[in-house]
Amino acid sequence: MGSKVNRSFYGYIFVAPFFIGFAVFGLMPILYTLYLSFMKWDGFSDPVYVGLANYSRLLHDSFFYQTIGNTLIIWILSNVPQLILSVLLALVLNERFIRGKHFFRAVYFFPHIITPVTLGVIFSLMFDWQTGTINKLLMSLGIIHDPVNWFNSPWWSRIIASGVICWQYFGFNMIVFIAGLQGIPREVYEAAEVDGASKKQTALHITLPLLRPVFLFVFITSVIGGLQLFDAPLMLGDGPGNSSRTMVMYLYETAFKNFDYSYGAAVAYGIFFVVMFFTAITAKASKLKD
Amino acid sequence: MAKILTRGILYLFLIAVAATCLLPFYSMIITSTHANSDIARRLLLIPGDQFLDNYARLKDTVNIWRGFGNTVLITVTSTIINVYFAALAGYGFSKYNFKYKNVLFLFVLGTMMIPGQLGIIGFFKLMDSLNMLNTYWPLILPSIHNAFGIFLMRQFADSSVPTEIIESGRMDGYGEWQIFNRIVLPIMSPGLATLGIFAFIGKWNDFLTPMIVLFDNNLQTLPVMIASLKSQFTSDFGAQYVGIVIAVVPILVFFSFMSKRIIDGVAAGAVKG
Amino acid sequence: MKTKKWLMMVLSVLLVGSMLAGCGSKASDSSSTASGDDSGKAAESGELKGHLVIWTFFDQVKDMADQFQAKNPGVTVDVKMFPGDQYQTKLLTALQSGRDVPDIFDLERGYIGKFIDSKFLTDLSAMGAEDLVKDYIPYVQELGRSQDGKLRAISDHSSPGGFWYMRDTAKKYLGTDDPDKVSDMVSSWDKIIELGKKVAADSGGKVHLIQNAGDLFDIEAYNTQPWVKDGKLNIDPKWQTIYQTQLDIRKNNVDAKLPFMSAGWGNALNDGSVVLTSMPAWAGFMVDNKDDKAKGKYGVAKTPEGFYSGGTYRGIYEKSKNKDLAYEFIKYIAGEEWQQHNLEKTGNMPGNSKVYEANLDTFKSPLFGDENVLKPYYETVVKIPAAKADKYGEEILSKWRKVASDGITNNRSFDDVVTDFKKEVKNAFPELNVD
Repeated sequence: MGSKVNRSFYGYIFVAPFFIGFAVFGLMPILYTLYLSFMKWDGFSDPVYVGLANYSRLLHDSFFYQTIGNTLIIWILSNVPQLILSVLLALVLNERFIRGKHFFRAVYFFPHIITPVTLGVIFSLMFDWQTGTINKLLMSLGIIHDPVNWFNSPWWSRIIASGVICWQYFGFNMIVFIAGLQGIPREVYEAAEVDGASKKQTALHITLPLLRPVFLFVFITSVIGGLQLFDAPLMLGDGPGNSSRTMVMYLYETAFKNFDYSYGAAVAYGIFFVVMFFTAITAKASKLKD
Repeated sequence: MAKILTRGILYLFLIAVAATCLLPFYSMIITSTHANSDIARRLLLIPGDQFLDNYARLKDTVNIWRGFGNTVLITVTSTIINVYFAALAGYGFSKYNFKYKNVLFLFVLGTMMIPGQLGIIGFFKLMDSLNMLNTYWPLILPSIHNAFGIFLMRQFADSSVPTEIIESGRMDGYGEWQIFNRIVLPIMSPGLATLGIFAFIGKWNDFLTPMIVLFDNNLQTLPVMIASLKSQFTSDFGAQYVGIVIAVVPILVFFSFMSKRIIDGVAAGAVKG
Repeated sequence: MKTKKWLMMVLSVLLVGSMLAGCGSKASDSSSTASGDDSGKAAESGELKGHLVIWTFFDQVKDMADQFQAKNPGVTVDVKMFPGDQYQTKLLTALQSGRDVPDIFDLERGYIGKFIDSKFLTDLSAMGAEDLVKDYIPYVQELGRSQDGKLRAISDHSSPGGFWYMRDTAKKYLGTDDPDKVSDMVSSWDKIIELGKKVAADSGGKVHLIQNAGDLFDIEAYNTQPWVKDGKLNIDPKWQTIYQTQLDIRKNNVDAKLPFMSAGWGNALNDGSVVLTSMPAWAGFMVDNKDDKAKGKYGVAKTPEGFYSGGTYRGIYEKSKNKDLAYEFIKYIAGEEWQQHNLEKTGNMPGNSKVYEANLDTFKSPLFGDENVLKPYYETVVKIPAAKADKYGEEILSKWRKVASDGITNNRSFDDVVTDFKKEVKNAFPELNVD
């Protein structure tokens, strides 16, 4: 033990790169953004101090509130089916008799390693109302007569955006659940079998409760990640009446399309606040259950 | 009988989900081989012969292979930096005692809660004042601070790096750096692989940062090129599809060889995390 | 063992990567050294020397550079093209950081208003450019001026628009392919709606008279009052009439609902499923003329009101070290020689009236057979009022376009659309008085 204390100097050295890297590339940009949020700066002229003007504008910005709503809607529409699907698939693939497990796991995981931007473009092309495969397919199957203009409908726009995200993440979460299932000791199941429990009973009363920590992990990561939705929805567009514009898309458009950097900085802090708020709620809710 | 039926249904379910995973890619590859006029008018199910024409039009405006190479370069470099420094810090937190260690570790974990986009505007402005805009530094250097990686590597070092081996290294006269580089890193290599996969996928998909810090076409990364296809080829769907095929197919091939390793790595990382 | 394999793979990828990087940096090195010093040594022997970097979003600038280099063998022009919608962001980023900034950069009509009063553009008037534009179409030269009246950017073309049609289709559905007669048939929006009903009925709903009710945004954009007057949002009452017309067009199946430059739009232009396509002269590249198959097949008729759409302006970076050489380039593209060449090659209409006048009675172009499209275009452009670009006009127009298009699709009332529109404007420009 003594040698450890003597070498504490190396401990500092080894962890120092993180703190230096974080200070330069993490903390300073965040503080700089804070500074900019008190300025008026459009990129063409020099920044001017305006106090809290950007924040009071943000508080009265109905478009920002709309993007919070949109983000939550897309988050729910994508995560509920996705969690159900990934748990179901994990349970099925954990059955001993299923063949080709590895093949199925690989296929389900595949959408996850494709760049979200690419997925967004693929879906926007597939659902294009003039040239997209989906309309052509539905028309040749006789389900619809005229092409549907998907991105002209607020709800279809949101559903498609959610679909992309669901499609991208269910495989990943399934792998996480499978890993969780494999962590459950075999004896538990054997005991249940001895007691004469049916498959369904085992799943509902033994497997799922034991998976709780895994659920929590998946849920919290999906709250933090889901509220920052950006790449794929950006490729699908704002939707009619901005109905599928997410918070981060709004930040991007404000700062890097309209060049209103200073207001964008305030929007960034607004998003930070919203994400913290929902993360805190999630954490609290999960603790209450304990 | 009932058993066979249930199994049949289960298989059907698995196959249906697998089909929804693969069909978009199939449709995309097929569509990329047809002329624009056909893409606009018909449902396409079998390959056509226009792939090279579409490719030629794409190549005239977008140097997509260059983007591919750029992305590989950035991703591999960042992954190595990411993994090395995460292992270093994880090992430091695991095997050394120093003042405020626990506070510092909590701080590391705390940084994971900060949403990635919070500092993006300041990041952009800061890179400008450091003269790093339009270079790869802003994409590569931030990999040094990866809180999740440190957390993962600390778990790994706790469980799989025996303190005795470090002590015996010291007996042999190795310095602390040598011990880390020559003894500890090889022992941690399964963990490095796991973290490497996470880091690789994350960096490969990076979109917002390259889009705002790079403005030279020759430096640009693949995701940004793909994103700009839509506005560059507004009415040329053939070229857009070819661009996507080029972005996806190499990944598909790579993944079909490495899928077991990747998925096992992800599973291992998820359990630890 | 497995780890070793893995490491080997990483190493080999890294090796290839670093080689790529090596090539990349070498290439950029050589270009940056070339751009520096040898400028300015211009005129002494009358021969220009040096290196210019131009940023653009438009493919045809390459030909411009080729022509200029052919005339001045001592000059190399490096055209960097950034197609797509990120050009503007990239340009502003580069200008702010002062890194890798071009000597000359292009600005589109849609956002020139944001840049024209910035500190990034050289005052061309001070360099003698008033002389270059003295024969210019009034509206073309005025758009390149900042609020203080100084020239900061110059375009080499004008962008008059008209109804393009395929002669066969026009004969079939309108009974004539004569441009004057067609122009007469569509000289007002009421006539267009009536005619559109007939076309839809005759074709069983398969063929439409015009592409999109949204075309009216382009046609009316500069035939209405400016959107901002004295810091106040100004909605020309004319927009209400226009909006009503757009609703009628949509209701009566007069338009094919195809957005400008979309895939379906391009198709309809080439296969005649839409009779009249309103588009500017520079969009001729959308006609598929592979192996001259469109030769003589098209005609252009006048729209109810004359209009222009788009335009590419070129300015010199304030801190460029090559200002004199860059000015020579601007001088070249503002001159008759280039504009005549461009007119013949691409059908882009000139910005200089002298070039118009020289071709007024003789102009022919392959697509249009015997029709002289230049003359009606000329009559259109000289009438367009000259107005400066401000930072609001185009942005607000695009907001109006977005909200009103939604309104047309969902058949909403004008008042509802205006309410939403004001909200959008207020959000984007909080400093404007919206009520």
